[in-house]
Amino acid sequence: MSPQRQSPTVKIDIGDGAAIPSKKDRGLFTAWWVAFVGAIVILGSLCLSYPDPYWRILAFLPDGIVVTFQVTLLSILLSLALGLVTGLGRLSQNRVWNLLASTYVEVIRGVPLLVQLFYIYYALGRIEAFSNLPPLAAAVLAMGICYGAYMGEVFRAGIDSIDKGQAEAARSLGFNRRQTMALVILPQAWRTILPPVGNEFIALLKDSSLVSILAVSDLLRRGREFASESFLYFETYTVVALVYLLITLVLSKAVSHMESKLNYYDRS
Amino acid sequence: MTAVDPIIQIHNVFKYFGTLQALSNVCLDVHAGEKVVIIGPSGSGKSTLLRAINRLETIDSGRIIVDGKDVHSGEHDINRIRQELGMVFQNFNLFPHKTVLGNITMAPITLKKMPELEAKNLAMSLLEKVGIRDKADVYPAMLSGGQKQRVAIARALAMQPKIMLFDEPTSALDPEMIGEVLDVMTQLAREGMTMVVVTHEMGFAREVADRIVFMDQGQIMEIAPPNELFANPKHPRTQKFLSQIL
Ligand SMILES: Nc1ncnc2c1ncn2[C@@H]1O[C@H](COP(=O)(O)OP(=O)(O)O)[C@@H](O)[C@H]1O
Ligand SMILES: [Mg+2]
Repeated sequence: MSPQRQSPTVKIDIGDGAAIPSKKDRGLFTAWWVAFVGAIVILGSLCLSYPDPYWRILAFLPDGIVVTFQVTLLSILLSLALGLVTGLGRLSQNRVWNLLASTYVEVIRGVPLLVQLFYIYYALGRIEAFSNLPPLAAAVLAMGICYGAYMGEVFRAGIDSIDKGQAEAARSLGFNRRQTMALVILPQAWRTILPPVGNEFIALLKDSSLVSILAVSDLLRRGREFASESFLYFETYTVVALVYLLITLVLSKAVSHMESKLNYYDRS
Repeated sequence: MTAVDPIIQIHNVFKYFGTLQALSNVCLDVHAGEKVVIIGPSGSGKSTLLRAINRLETIDSGRIIVDGKDVHSGEHDINRIRQELGMVFQNFNLFPHKTVLGNITMAPITLKKMPELEAKNLAMSLLEKVGIRDKADVYPAMLSGGQKQRVAIARALAMQPKIMLFDEPTSALDPEMIGEVLDVMTQLAREGMTMVVVTHEMGFAREVADRIVFMDQGQIMEIAPPNELFANPKHPRTQKFLSQIL
């Protein structure tokens, strides 16, 4: 994740992660297929032509892929919860909540992710209650806290994008603030929020490779383990990179599919 | 307080947006069953006044009492007061993620704990009333402007409010759709609804209003029954305004 990610304003920026292809964007659409087919062909032919070491490397990785997905999924869930609270806080008239949320976003955005990971990991180690936390849980906490700040901005922009008249109509019917948010604003904001959330998911999956430094046996760390025993660094990282690429390509496709499904009530 | 107290009492209301005086010493009473139409040039404070009645807009001084409850005092649950005040907006503000039926039943089901079936029956009878029964299951995006506004009226009526507030309900409509919305409003007026309507439709005002309020620069310049106001406007600003639009 680039530290200088722009905060989304009106249109939520889809800047990071794999580019999400749309049918309208022919060039990107084709690029997706070239990358996807290319990665499969290269990986397949390497494994078939040189099962040793390529097939051995690939067979060594699935445990790591599972861990990578675990870290990503749990982190994204945590970041969604934090993001909702933060996004609402940033729009809240409650001064304390608003200031807390804004400070959280500012601080997180100002510190590189890797530094945050180290910091949270070792800071947690110093707190009695957390000192026995398994590395995976610590990694998820760190990633979730970090991405929660970005998710907060996504939520804020999504909520902000809903016409003020919607809230006024709901309030004039007698709905309170909370009901208005839950029944009218969020269900609509969700459509603006989901595509960037999907994109954050992909970005987080890639960034999750950083947790390999924290003794979490994710995809990258499995690769490192294999490489350091076999000394086949180039071969191993070739496979690792191709596997990451394939995962993010498939996910980006899924996100764009989900996005198109989300527009059901706009069709006229 | 007696039964004949006006259902809306607006006393000496002032409202500022920064240094701009949006409402200046506004006083107005509306009796139950009365139809009051507010006219005036753009920016004269009509919307601000209407929105102050259900506290979508705060006020800086004065009092607004609706059905015996001081709206801006904070003593009463504003969400309860608003249930008595239906509001229809220029831009409809239908909930796009809900079907027509969902738009109408949402408030009674959530706020009045009305059983779903009862709410649905209520919605269908309201849709019948506004003449678009067949659109119950479509999403608002598929409706014309006139249909949207009629759904918005049905949505407000579903809470069975005592008073209906309309803020330029036909201003965003294509000319050929204005009539169908005004017909629904006229019908509602005949049924005895208390209505406060901001509009530029002088034909409607003439036909339906008990009294017409002319506003300019945040002030009420003149209040009179339609015949009087149109035939014999007293204030020079009213004369000028009417000569421009009639
Ligand atoms: N939210 C706001 N912030 C600042 N000024 C506003 C706001 N709403 C209305 N105004 C100003 O207050 C005055 C009255 O506005 P409004 O009540 O909307 O007039 P009308 O409905 O008669 O056209 C206008 O000058 C308008 O620009
Ligand atoms: Mg207005």
